[in-house]
Amino acid sequence: MIELFDVTKRFGEEVAVDAISLRVQKGELCVLVGTSGCGKSTTLRMINRLIEHSDGEIHLDGQPVRTFDEVTLRRRIGYVIQNTGLFPHWTVARNIGLVPRLLKWPRAQVRERVETLMALLGLPIEEFAAKYPHQLSGGQAQRVGVARALAADPEILLMDEPFGALDPITREALQHELLDLQARLHKTIVFVTHDMDEALALADRLVVMRQGRIVQQGPPLELLHEPVDDFVASMLGGDARGLKEAALTRVRDRMLPLGPRLLAHERVAVDVPLNQALSLMLWHRVDRLTVVDDDDIPIGELSLRRLVGSKA
Amino acid sequence: MQQARSKPNAVLLVLMLVGVVAWLTLPAISVAPNRIVPGTPQRAQEALGWGVALLATVPMLGVATLAWRPFTWHLRAALVLVVGLLAAMPLWLSGVAATLEAASRLGLGSALWLLLFLWLLALIELRARLALSRPLGWALLLPVLLAWWVCLMQWLAPLALYREYQVRSDQFVGAIGQHLALVGSAVGAALLLGVCLALAMRRRAGVRRVGFGILNFLQTIPSIALFGLLLAPLAWLASRVEWLAALGVSGIGWAPAWLALLGYSLLPMVRNTFVALEEVDPAVIEAARGMGMSQRQVFLQVRLPLALPVVLEGIRITTVQAIGLTAVAALIGAGGLGTFIFQGLGQAAMDLVLLGALPIIALALMVDALLSALADWLRQGGTT
Ligand SMILES: Nc1ncnc2c1ncn2[C@@H]1O[C@H](COP(=O)(O)OP(=O)(O)OP(=O)(O)O)[C@@H](O)[C@H]1O
Ligand SMILES: [Mg+2]
Repeated sequence: MIELFDVTKRFGEEVAVDAISLRVQKGELCVLVGTSGCGKSTTLRMINRLIEHSDGEIHLDGQPVRTFDEVTLRRRIGYVIQNTGLFPHWTVARNIGLVPRLLKWPRAQVRERVETLMALLGLPIEEFAAKYPHQLSGGQAQRVGVARALAADPEILLMDEPFGALDPITREALQHELLDLQARLHKTIVFVTHDMDEALALADRLVVMRQGRIVQQGPPLELLHEPVDDFVASMLGGDARGLKEAALTRVRDRMLPLGPRLLAHERVAVDVPLNQALSLMLWHRVDRLTVVDDDDIPIGELSLRRLVGSKA
Repeated sequence: MQQARSKPNAVLLVLMLVGVVAWLTLPAISVAPNRIVPGTPQRAQEALGWGVALLATVPMLGVATLAWRPFTWHLRAALVLVVGLLAAMPLWLSGVAATLEAASRLGLGSALWLLLFLWLLALIELRARLALSRPLGWALLLPVLLAWWVCLMQWLAPLALYREYQVRSDQFVGAIGQHLALVGSAVGAALLLGVCLALAMRRRAGVRRVGFGILNFLQTIPSIALFGLLLAPLAWLASRVEWLAALGVSGIGWAPAWLALLGYSLLPMVRNTFVALEEVDPAVIEAARGMGMSQRQVFLQVRLPLALPVVLEGIRITTVQAIGLTAVAALIGAGGLGTFIFQGLGQAAMDLVLLGALPIIALALMVDALLSALADWLRQGGTT
């Protein structure tokens, strides 16, 4: 668990982070969003003490971070940054094994751990272990970055725009992988992004920042439905919020069992989000879709009325 | 592939055509009855006749022809021809030497120097076009050096340069030793001091400003003036401090030369080391710290290895520069190869000047090649 109590950071005269309070529960994925320069990275880096906070307290599991030795502290916290920060003179395997080696794990155990992580992140060992970072694509490098952060099995993961430099398709793939990982590993994650779709897709708790302050925080749907002011509303997509919300709900949650009526001709998979279902209706100019399961077998139906109808 | 390469290689064409013209119009050799009398220049056709002179143009025209359509195998053939040309030059000279009287001295004329230069350029061009590796490039010079060596031993006794060498062979070896010792110790000390200074400069902006100020200023003093400036204080020191005098420190000699070399070497060394260390990708350093590496680990395992190729570049520049500067240091009695240059200038004996100058050039080229190769090797770790 990460707790920030009235944490302030001043760079000289400038206040980069202004008395923010935040609690990230164990196993929670907390996403920080906000305009550029609002203090997201600074907040993240105060947690692992790359930057020392000026005022307030930061606690990990109830202990002030200042009471830890900073090097020991950082080895317990995974850290992923936008430009990966992989060591260009080390191979992929050596990069991933960095923290376990710093912690003086036995050699065999380090190797085993590296292999496990490469498998976990879909990096075939024979192909990638001996490669150097400059031989990787952006997506592969970012996977290596995540693997390196996870290497010593830290409870906490800090991710600063980790997928920011990737194309939308790779980014989405990595988001899904992160959610899968999170479902299995239950880390406590603080994630910074500029991409509102990414934020909504990942967040258990969404934190909107502006000029060093937290304007609003809570579950994504809560922020979508009840933004405290125009700034939060526009951050969350303004008039496009309806579609953003639809992206958070699956067809499964709105469909009705198959009725006596004839099956609609156009089909939609049960696991896709509602915004896609809506798009299909717009595209085919229909107001009814047949919902099918993974094997393409009809299991229900979704009507436009249902789709727009009652709130979840 | 072949289509793309079939544009004429202008570099080779020009080099070879200039070569042919130079060979037939400029003096190829000069012959003097003894050391003092200036030699009479002779053109190639005057030395061994038109037949041989024209024959020698054939390979050059051959290379030019091959360069017209530079397919890979054309370039390979051209490479063989150029190496052959370089190796044939001492043979031709041997032929000339055989026609001379015993006491006369044979000097190389402007045509031959120019040809050597042009052919080496052609070799470099071919090496680049054929993407030959560095070691292979050097191996190509082996037959050439062998030919020169055999000819020198057997037939080229009248070559003035060789005569000058023979008279001073002991001195020559000693001079090379002195030269290398001066350069090596000064650059070594500059490296140690430079790294320490660069580290201090990274710590404190004040040290950085003052340090670069002084070093930049040092660099602007002409070398002769710096030797002169060092003369008085060193002479004074030597007269006061006995053990310094016992070490051989005095106003002239190796001590001021060494100090001046050190002074000049510091700027490139410090600058490169400083820049190398500063310019390591901040994201990499941030990640290293974020992963929990201690300051020491970040420096030794990340910053330093990533900076090393650039530091090495500094060592290379510094060493090559110091090899040249040490030649000037002979003026204040520091010894080294420069001694021959200044003796030769004093006696108006150009060949003696060359005896000093050629090894200096060769040394500089060798150091340059060695350190570049080392930097390449270091970079192979994937830092590119
Ligand atoms: N080391 C530093 N020294 C001085 N000022 C800094 C430093 N780091 C950050 N700042 C300032 O603090 C403020 C917040 O910076 P921060 O990097 O946290 O923003 P951010 O929200 O991460 O922005 P972005 O979305 O562009 O990454 C900025 O105004 C920045 O100029
Ligand atoms: Mg940032």
